[in-house]
Amino acid sequence: MLNREEIRKNLNLIFQDVFDDTTIEITDEMSAKDIEDWDSLAQIDLIVASEGTFNVKFGISEIAQLKNIGDMLDLIERKLCQ
Amino acid sequence: MIPIKQYTYDEITLGQVANFAVTITEDMMSKFRDISGDVNPLHISEDFAKDKGYTGRVVYGMLSASFLSTMAGMYLPGENCVIHAVEVKFPLPVYLGQTLTFTGEVVSKVDAYNTIELKVSATNSNNQKVLRGKIRAGVLK
Repeated sequence: MLNREEIRKNLNLIFQDVFDDTTIEITDEMSAKDIEDWDSLAQIDLIVASEGTFNVKFGISEIAQLKNIGDMLDLIERKLCQ
Repeated sequence: MIPIKQYTYDEITLGQVANFAVTITEDMMSKFRDISGDVNPLHISEDFAKDKGYTGRVVYGMLSASFLSTMAGMYLPGENCVIHAVEVKFPLPVYLGQTLTFTGEVVSKVDAYNTIELKVSATNSNNQKVLRGKIRAGVLK
């Protein structure tokens, strides 16, 4: 199973791909206000790519509770443990 | 008039396919030219197009792509569609009078957002792919 750092590396690649920006380095505190193009459509892109990469499914209530990338990493970590 | 499909999100399955055929006419080209204001000679001058190495006037790529709206809005999912994003590529030119067969296949569903993704393509009568891409569409409840 992937550890948190491995999840972060994969999630970072997803962010770089979705925003077409190889300079993005995600941190736990980062949120939509820190990335200019992180709008509702980009959010769907991130969820689709994350579900595919980590082979998990997210519920709308789980997504609604995400406040930043740290929460996203927590959620993916929890999903992978299930 | 094409009967509009009325799929709900739950009725749509991975691998589901829709297809239809369209023949590109002079009338379509004229209307597209008038709406878009694109009077590039590649689309309106036979001589110019031939001089550039094409066999005739090239159909507007975005005219071919406009049928992706038909795919999503009329066929899959149909009435409950709201298009979020379209990606399209044009591997070969389309010429006036050609009949294109459009195919859309559901390749992913995102339950959290009631959203589907279609892999789409259009082929000419020689079975050559002239358009390929993706549509992401929300399915209204």
